[in-house]
Amino acid sequence: MHQALLTLGFGLVAAAILALSALAFTLEYAVTNVANLSHGEILTVGAYCAYVVQQHGGGVVLSGLAAAAGGGLLALAVHEGVVDRFVRRGIGGLPTFIATLGVSLVIQNVLVVIFGGGNVGYQVPQGAPHTIGPFLWNDTEIQIMVSAAVITALLYVIIQHTRFGKSLRAVSQNRSLASVSGINAHRVAALTWLLAGLIAGYAGFIYAESLGTLSPTFGFQYFLITLTAAVAGGLGRALGTLVGAIIVGIALEFFGGYLSASYNLAFAFAILSLVILVRPRGLFVGGRRSVFE
Amino acid sequence: MIDQLINDLTQTAIFAIMALGLNVVWGWSGDFDLAFYGYVAIGAYMTLVLTIGPPLDPSSTYILAQKFPFPIAVLLGTLAAMVLGLIVGAIALRHLRGIYFSIVTLGAVYVLSTFASQFVPLFNGYPGLSGLVAPMADVLGIDYNSYQYFYFGLCVVLLAIVVIGLTRLSSSRFGLALRTVREDERAAAVFGRDIYRLKLKAYVIGAGLGGFAGGLFAGFLTAFNTSAWSPLETVTLYAAILVGGRGSIRGVILGVGVMVLLLQEATRYLPEVPGHADWTPAFRLMLTGIVLVLFIRFRPQGILPERRMRDGEPPGSAGAGAEAIAAPQPVAGPALDTGVA
Repeated sequence: MHQALLTLGFGLVAAAILALSALAFTLEYAVTNVANLSHGEILTVGAYCAYVVQQHGGGVVLSGLAAAAGGGLLALAVHEGVVDRFVRRGIGGLPTFIATLGVSLVIQNVLVVIFGGGNVGYQVPQGAPHTIGPFLWNDTEIQIMVSAAVITALLYVIIQHTRFGKSLRAVSQNRSLASVSGINAHRVAALTWLLAGLIAGYAGFIYAESLGTLSPTFGFQYFLITLTAAVAGGLGRALGTLVGAIIVGIALEFFGGYLSASYNLAFAFAILSLVILVRPRGLFVGGRRSVFE
Repeated sequence: MIDQLINDLTQTAIFAIMALGLNVVWGWSGDFDLAFYGYVAIGAYMTLVLTIGPPLDPSSTYILAQKFPFPIAVLLGTLAAMVLGLIVGAIALRHLRGIYFSIVTLGAVYVLSTFASQFVPLFNGYPGLSGLVAPMADVLGIDYNSYQYFYFGLCVVLLAIVVIGLTRLSSSRFGLALRTVREDERAAAVFGRDIYRLKLKAYVIGAGLGGFAGGLFAGFLTAFNTSAWSPLETVTLYAAILVGGRGSIRGVILGVGVMVLLLQEATRYLPEVPGHADWTPAFRLMLTGIVLVLFIRFRPQGILPERRMRDGEPPGSAGAGAEAIAAPQPVAGPALDTGVA
């Protein structure tokens, strides 16, 4: 029982990271209807920004900010440079999805050229472990969870209670209808991608913190898990994605803790296929229709 | 220099077979399959374990460990890839299309590479397999110096057979029905096509060609491991199909020529930066990504597009509906044939 609670504690840390990554992904999907295959690279670039800041003697706060800024700029660039041009020309979801795969390839290899293809260490002082209730967390893990919770809460306020959030919801429901109602859909989509990039870049930073290492493909590998969480919660639905991320994060931690961490990806895929096959619109919405797009 | 060129041409021929296999799935059937390189890998692994025999190094372990002749091993590898394709396709094609299909196949290939690299008893884990040197050289009595010419010739002949087979398939009822399904699934269903069976059949054919090319690739590389097949390798194949012309056989071959041969030859002579051995492949992949994006945006039909049938061109084609796409030759048979070819 004690061991299970400890694992649950680590699962919450994993869930916090996953939640940010998956929320960002779902936001990107919500406003453009494009599943962004270069999403993982936003995390990677964020993590490398934090790494560079750390190499120059910057602290944790500065690293986190740099990661968010790097991720945000990259997401905005991908939106303006590729995705938006495709969406505006009426190129469908699938071809744009393929194009983002090309973007992912480009970014990964730019990183290989700059930083080399191998792993680099990203060590932060983890601090002493604290016993909080039944859980055991160190300073870094607490920082990860608290910051993720704060960001999620902020995101909720932005989406539900601001004018921009209202436009965001309108665009995600029906882009053309939002446009004829006087909403500048392009601007809303660009700002949403910027916001998603800020979150994803920061997620890359905390993922690197918890992993202790990073490489040009580290975000792409994490992408499958992100996808699992986002699809489980329902693509484009923020609240469902959040719940999906918490479930998937904890489930993976239990799987890794009790069976084998090497097969985590395989396990994530098993969840993903099951969800897609049984409830393709996500766990928390009616799954009557199958997915034909 | 000439040896190097022959080497690259052999690789191009092998990649052309792969790309043609993927073209059946994506070009004709319209499914964006990200698991494709997994079938290539299975073909390569199976060919290796069936030809190299028991491990010489006691620390390595793998299944089967037979010493079959190379052609039989390649055929069994092809079969294994088809079985795997049947399983993945049966699950993924039943209800999923578009990005959901791609997501499931992406997951499938990740599972496969995870197992291949982590589960050591299967294919010796991360270090992979090696030791298939110059298959068939001893039987045919070919000496070391002329072997690569022989293997090049073999690959070209096999590529030619694949091209002939696919050209026939392309204008067969099956090929036409497949394109009808790609263009408008509902219309095809209305005209009695069994969508799922058609797509699954195409998927298994594609997987088989992937496995076949994988077996040849194993003979070419003499070894195989997981770092040789990052799932992103599939992207190179997609870029080749897109550049050449999705759905068109000569287009795909042209595309492979551009994306594999030309890119490799062009980047080979880049001055190598000392201490940065990974820059050249990185630039090649970067270029692949850029080409992919630009082609989707500006010329999605590719350099040599698939020929489309116009209204009223050859009457009596098996394709249903005004949007049907047909190969150049008209096809015998009733226009509203309800059976699956």
